[in-house]
Amino acid sequence: MLPEKSEVVVIGGGIVGVAIAHELAKRGIDVTVLEKRFIGSGSTFRCGTGIRQQFNDEANVRVMKRSVELWEKYSREYNFSFSQTGYLFLLYDEGEVETFKRNIKIQNKFGVPTRLITPEEAKEIVPLLDISEVIAASWNPTDGKADPFEATTAFAIKAKEYGAKLLEYTEVKGFIIENGEIKGVKTNRGIIKTGIVVNATNAWAKLINAMAGIRLKIPIEPYKHQAVITQPIKRGTINPMVISFKYGHAYLTQTFHGGIIGGIGYEVGPTYDLTPTYEFLREVSYYFTKIIPALKNLLILRTWAGYYAKTPDSNPAIGKIDELSDYYIAAGFSGHGFMMAPAVGEMIADLITRGKTNLPIEWYDPYRFERGELRTAALQMG
Amino acid sequence: MRPLDLTEKSDKKVKIYFEGKELEAYEGEKLSVALLANEVYWLTTSTEGRKRGAFTFGPVPMKVNGVRGVDARKTRVTEGMKVERQSYPEFHEEPVIEGKETTQFVVDVAVIGGGPAGIGATLELQEDLTVALIEEKGWLGGDMWLKSSKQEGFNERARKAVEELTRNIKEDVRVFLGASALGVFDKGEYFLVPVVKESSLIEIMAKRVVLATGAVDSIMLFENNDMPGIFRRDFALEVMNVWEVAPGWNVAVTGSRAEEVIQELERWGIDYVYIPNVKRAEGEEKVEKVVDMNGNEYKVDALIFADGRRPDINPITQAGGKITFRRGYYGPIIDEKHRIREGIYVAGSAVSIKSHYANYLEGRLVGAYILREFGFDAEPCIYEEKLKEYEPESLPIPRIPLEKFNLEDVQICGCDVSLKKVDDVIRRGITDLQIIKRLTHLAMGYCQGRYCLFNGALVVSQRTGKKLGEIDLPVARSPIKNVRMGVLARR
Repeated sequence: MLPEKSEVVVIGGGIVGVAIAHELAKRGIDVTVLEKRFIGSGSTFRCGTGIRQQFNDEANVRVMKRSVELWEKYSREYNFSFSQTGYLFLLYDEGEVETFKRNIKIQNKFGVPTRLITPEEAKEIVPLLDISEVIAASWNPTDGKADPFEATTAFAIKAKEYGAKLLEYTEVKGFIIENGEIKGVKTNRGIIKTGIVVNATNAWAKLINAMAGIRLKIPIEPYKHQAVITQPIKRGTINPMVISFKYGHAYLTQTFHGGIIGGIGYEVGPTYDLTPTYEFLREVSYYFTKIIPALKNLLILRTWAGYYAKTPDSNPAIGKIDELSDYYIAAGFSGHGFMMAPAVGEMIADLITRGKTNLPIEWYDPYRFERGELRTAALQMG
Repeated sequence: MRPLDLTEKSDKKVKIYFEGKELEAYEGEKLSVALLANEVYWLTTSTEGRKRGAFTFGPVPMKVNGVRGVDARKTRVTEGMKVERQSYPEFHEEPVIEGKETTQFVVDVAVIGGGPAGIGATLELQEDLTVALIEEKGWLGGDMWLKSSKQEGFNERARKAVEELTRNIKEDVRVFLGASALGVFDKGEYFLVPVVKESSLIEIMAKRVVLATGAVDSIMLFENNDMPGIFRRDFALEVMNVWEVAPGWNVAVTGSRAEEVIQELERWGIDYVYIPNVKRAEGEEKVEKVVDMNGNEYKVDALIFADGRRPDINPITQAGGKITFRRGYYGPIIDEKHRIREGIYVAGSAVSIKSHYANYLEGRLVGAYILREFGFDAEPCIYEEKLKEYEPESLPIPRIPLEKFNLEDVQICGCDVSLKKVDDVIRRGITDLQIIKRLTHLAMGYCQGRYCLFNGALVVSQRTGKKLGEIDLPVARSPIKNVRMGVLARR
């Protein structure tokens, strides 16, 4: 049954929505998540597992450092798999090395222990790598991976234990607004009274913003990104997430089950279509086997697609929208929302409960697009 | 003759070595069959340590001439071949698969599947249009090629009828044997059907596509249903009628379609016992004993199950078709011209379960519709009328005796997914197959759910009371058949 009222309503039951609800419920706030399908069914369901702190600006590095602390803490407390097997960026020319030296400096400054390593060191970490063209690599052993669906489910179970209500197959259809104030949310299962709403719908964020009559320009568009999985092979074959910008913006790693999972930069959109394409199948095979030739022998079992909810600077919009009280947004994660989720949960909960947060949330200011203050583009994989 | 040879072979003799032991084989023989003829059933071991053979679900990776991960079902024996067992996760670290130059063909119609329906469509189309006929197996005739019995409609023995039909296929039809279609991709102006044959990639561009992709045998659920010596109906028929090797000399047969297998066993003079309600198979390295629900024990060499075929829905959903549940199985939703969508036709047991002759007629029917579309004279209504004489079969919906099984021993999917794993998730209240898939790995392995999704839906239905027609099946994604990355990697 739909509760009659809830102090806070979070729209969207993906990893971000669930992480926000989890944090709010933990602080004693009465919170309800409205999810139109099942918990974790959107981009979370299709996501590539990676969690990294190797970004190129202060805000993202600090937020991800905090996020990894939370990943460590909660994976231990809630018993879901998160392993710090590192992120390895393969570098092929001096230009790339220079850029990454700058990035590493920022990362080190804020406590992320990334190092520039030699091709031989990289090969020690992933023995199957072809390092014939690699001249250096950027390596941070504290980055890692988690199973997105398992993690989301774990947060969801805990959120419920703290008193959150998670409503599946409940689709938001509109808002009840009086004098610029939210009074309730209309769903396919009736109305729920609330004064505070968080839009955590990522790829669908503009639809929810439109329902709420938000006039502020927050350009978030869905792009089709694809992924592949191979047959399972012996565990520990490819431990870290391996990245190669030179070869198609490829990312690949091994899942806990044993398959090699990953994707490339091949982007289609804006679109809500999710059919995998033949072109992706060809491209991903070409790039992956350039990076690790042994993959030639492996069977591809399946490809699939999901959304990157992209903004013009590849950074999300996280914050309060003042034209409608109390309306918050946490959307537009541009391909790296899964890893950020625990920290985003903390930031939004801070905003709602204390009106401020210690994390550098201004970087994700939803007003920056209208003001024309785009950030340096965040590093986007795939 | 080797222990399980049904006939004296006239092909060239070769020697192969299995685990160091010298064995006799014949040139051109499939590795899995050559080993069977020598009474070698256990070929590989699953990730969780279950012994497996080649004749039911699950992959069969073996170490051949020092190379790991070779598919024993697709490999032909050669003189001096050294074969060893391996376990699923072992793979070869030196890249041995190298893609060849991609070839491209433009045709009017791509027919996927070379069974009676695919042949029927080809024969209808070939006079006026250019056709590519793609068949995954090494032969044309599909399931009909596996049988010896006389077929209604053709009024001839199955294999003879196939030979006569294929003799009429014109030389300019491009026939691709041993070639797997990876899916159908809509390019607007045409459909792209990428096909893999060994290490070659062939891109077929066609204005129309016929999915004559057939049906797959239902997997029966009982304890140790994955062990060496268990034969799915189609594999049992193949070893006997195509390769002339016995599954064993004393076999057990089960399932609602056991009769079809029994007549072949009788023809070959193989001793059998019919067991209507199998509970468990047992044995050290292969089946030695079968136990029924009443506790009766039967000493046998092998167990063959035949429980009906159901349309393979994977090629349909990948191509953008929708499915519905009717007559005990899921099948495509088609319009009045047998299309799942504009430009993509479907015929044969991919549509519904019926006789080979009816499937053949349906192929001709679809061919006639396409001819009409291209402005040629054709009489689809003649085939339509004839087809009406064949009411599609209904399959009984099996009832799994969940309470009577040790669920851990019953394998629902070839990739180490036990019935217990799936049942536990459902009993926790999770009934959406998408989530079950994710939590258990059901339908996430080599077969993409071809052999396990129906049984998954069945367990959900049984535990929840939900009707099968109300259960959503996850759609198939490309590639609809496994393909090695190296084959696609070449630019």
